[in-house]
Amino acid sequence: MITLTDFLIVSAALFCIGLYMIISKRNAIQILIGIELILNAAILNLVAFGKHDAVNNSGQIFALFAIVLAAATTAVALAIILNVYRKYKTIDPDKINNLKDQ
Amino acid sequence: MNNTLSHTDTTLIICTLAAVAFPLFAALVNFCLPVKSKVAGWVSALAILLACILSAKVFAGVWNAPQLHVQQVWFTIGNTKVYAGILLNNLSVLMLLLVSLIALPVHVYSTAYMKYDERYSRYFTYLSFFCFSMLALVVVDNLVLFYGFWELVGFSSYLLIGFWFTRDKAVQANKKAFIMNRIGDIGLLSAILILFLVFHTFDIDRLFGRNSIVAQSVLLTGHWTSANENNWMVDGISYQLPAVWQYVAFAGILLAVAAKSAQFPLHTWLPDAMEGPTSVSSLIHAATMVAAGVFLLGRVYPMFTPTELTILAVMGCFTAFMAATIALTQNDLKRVLAYSTISQLGFMVLGMGVGAYSSSLFHLATHAFFKCLLFLVAGIVIHEMQHVKKDNHLDFDPQDILLMGGLRKKLPLTFIVAIVAGLALIGLPLTSGYLSKDGILIQAFEWSDGKNTWFKIIPVTALITSWLTAFYVARLIFKVFFGDFRLQNIYPNLKLHMRDGGWQYKVPVVLLAICCLFPLFSFNPFSYETSWLFKGMDIARIAKFESTYHLIIPVLVNLVSLVVLYLAYAIYVKQNSSAFSQTGFFYRLSYNQWYIDKIYKKVFVKPVLGLGKTLFWFDKNIIDGFVHLLANMAGCVARFSAWTDKYIVDGFLHLLAAMVQSIGNFARKFQGGKVQYYLFSMLVIVLALFLFKILI
Repeated sequence: MITLTDFLIVSAALFCIGLYMIISKRNAIQILIGIELILNAAILNLVAFGKHDAVNNSGQIFALFAIVLAAATTAVALAIILNVYRKYKTIDPDKINNLKDQ
Repeated sequence: MNNTLSHTDTTLIICTLAAVAFPLFAALVNFCLPVKSKVAGWVSALAILLACILSAKVFAGVWNAPQLHVQQVWFTIGNTKVYAGILLNNLSVLMLLLVSLIALPVHVYSTAYMKYDERYSRYFTYLSFFCFSMLALVVVDNLVLFYGFWELVGFSSYLLIGFWFTRDKAVQANKKAFIMNRIGDIGLLSAILILFLVFHTFDIDRLFGRNSIVAQSVLLTGHWTSANENNWMVDGISYQLPAVWQYVAFAGILLAVAAKSAQFPLHTWLPDAMEGPTSVSSLIHAATMVAAGVFLLGRVYPMFTPTELTILAVMGCFTAFMAATIALTQNDLKRVLAYSTISQLGFMVLGMGVGAYSSSLFHLATHAFFKCLLFLVAGIVIHEMQHVKKDNHLDFDPQDILLMGGLRKKLPLTFIVAIVAGLALIGLPLTSGYLSKDGILIQAFEWSDGKNTWFKIIPVTALITSWLTAFYVARLIFKVFFGDFRLQNIYPNLKLHMRDGGWQYKVPVVLLAICCLFPLFSFNPFSYETSWLFKGMDIARIAKFESTYHLIIPVLVNLVSLVVLYLAYAIYVKQNSSAFSQTGFFYRLSYNQWYIDKIYKKVFVKPVLGLGKTLFWFDKNIIDGFVHLLANMAGCVARFSAWTDKYIVDGFLHLLAAMVQSIGNFARKFQGGKVQYYLFSMLVIVLALFLFKILI
């Protein structure tokens, strides 16, 4: 029997992995992956808690919305990363420290 | 003293001052001249000629006239006024005239003798300064000034003895003379201070003059008291010291006389002083240097008690005898003369000791002439020998009488004057030496008459000494002027052209030779009492004409002297009898100058040098060691504080700086523009808040 706690543990693990990736990775795409992992942890939580909700499947629906939104943000982020790469010839966030127009 | 000086007195005083000042002026002028300037000699000679003329004028004015004494306040300390002035009495005018009269021929002679010297004008600077010191010494009326000029005489003799300072021996000799004289100076200084303590004046006239307060002082009940009934004693108080100070003062005077006039314990500088130019020796021996000691005795004469006079007599007698025995065997021409000077000075001190005050000063005057002459003769001989040495490129000692001989044909004038001077030194009749020396001998015998038999030793020794004198003078003259020229025997191919020299040599020696004869001093060649000089000096004694000694002594002296002369003639000219054994104890004793130099070297010089070395060691190792220890300790402290400064003080500052830097670096990271870092720090803070919340 898989209980809610197990879901929460997996979710927490995902969150931590994501957080670690965001903090430690030197590559903007990997950071983006980390963000996605955190988002997925949150979605997993929504789905896990949705089982105990009074309204049926509301959690799953929210999760679907969230996934769509996540896809959208990811697309936007990727576009930004692409632009950043064009401008700075790097996607290491540490080295991108100059936002002003050149 | 007298406020109303008559016109003639003023003139005399001015003449005296000028006579003293001329040589000083000449010394100053010569000092400014170039070193080789030939003018210097004539400047000095002119100055001394003027001094001589003025002295003669002063002498004519003061001799046998009331004494002349002018003084002025020199300085005041508390209530004590110290006067400086001029005291002209028979003694000082005699010396004034004598010094300038002897110095004049020496100056003229020096112009020729020093002609080729590198430092011609320096020589005359020193010589004039020497004369100035001595002339001033004899006329001052004050013991402080007297002491000052006494020192100057010593100092200028030091300069002159060491004139050829490139010779090591000359340097040694002048050092020796200077040190010996310092010993005497200490004595004189302490005597002056003691006299001042008792009598509260430095005035020579007051102390030793007609109303001598020294003579009136009393030695009673273990105290030396200045006479208090003297109404001219300003505060009317009498001062007294323990009696021992009187003896200390006497010992000081004795020491001063012994050093300056080369008496027994301190005589060794005089023979060594021969290293100076011969003309200087002649001046030192005749009038300017050694005479100062006897002059001092003459000045302070009233001070001596009978016991002290006996000590003086013993010292003079012993010196006279010892020096005469040494002179018998010396082979250095000048050294023989030096010891004969010491011997004659011994006679003078002996004369002072036995109360023959005037004879002693008389002998000083006559001795000045003939000894000066003998040295000038020696100078000519040595000069000619040096020429021989230089012309033939030989190496021998030009002063060695063993190499001379037969010079009477080559230097006829020199020979004649040497004979005159030699006879005067022996004291044969018709010479001045006869008058003065026999005076001393006769009075010595008279003095010993009323005393213990032991006192006879003194006049008898003096008598023997005068025979010894005859022998060494004869030996000297025979060796130098008679026989064969021994140098020529050694080097047969010698080129010789000896002459008596120019007029600068001839005139002085002839003049001095005339002064060695009796008419200058007395019209009766056989009686010293008729001498004007003796009469002028006689302060206390009434000459006893009836004494049998007046007949016996001169006859005895002269007969034996003639025998001795013949003996010397037989030994050294005819070579009939063999010369004395040169190995005996007495010969060695005499040849080595009684070993006095050696004893001094062992007893004084070596311990002093040892002491010096010990002190040097002590200074180097203990004193310097202590200083070095202190330095090291200070160094250690310094190093420690440097370490502390570097590591503790600076370390603390560096620590602070490092902390600030690290904190800054730490804080900077948050603002580094690194997105992830911002995120991380946010996470940490949030986590910290959570932990904080959980824990509290």
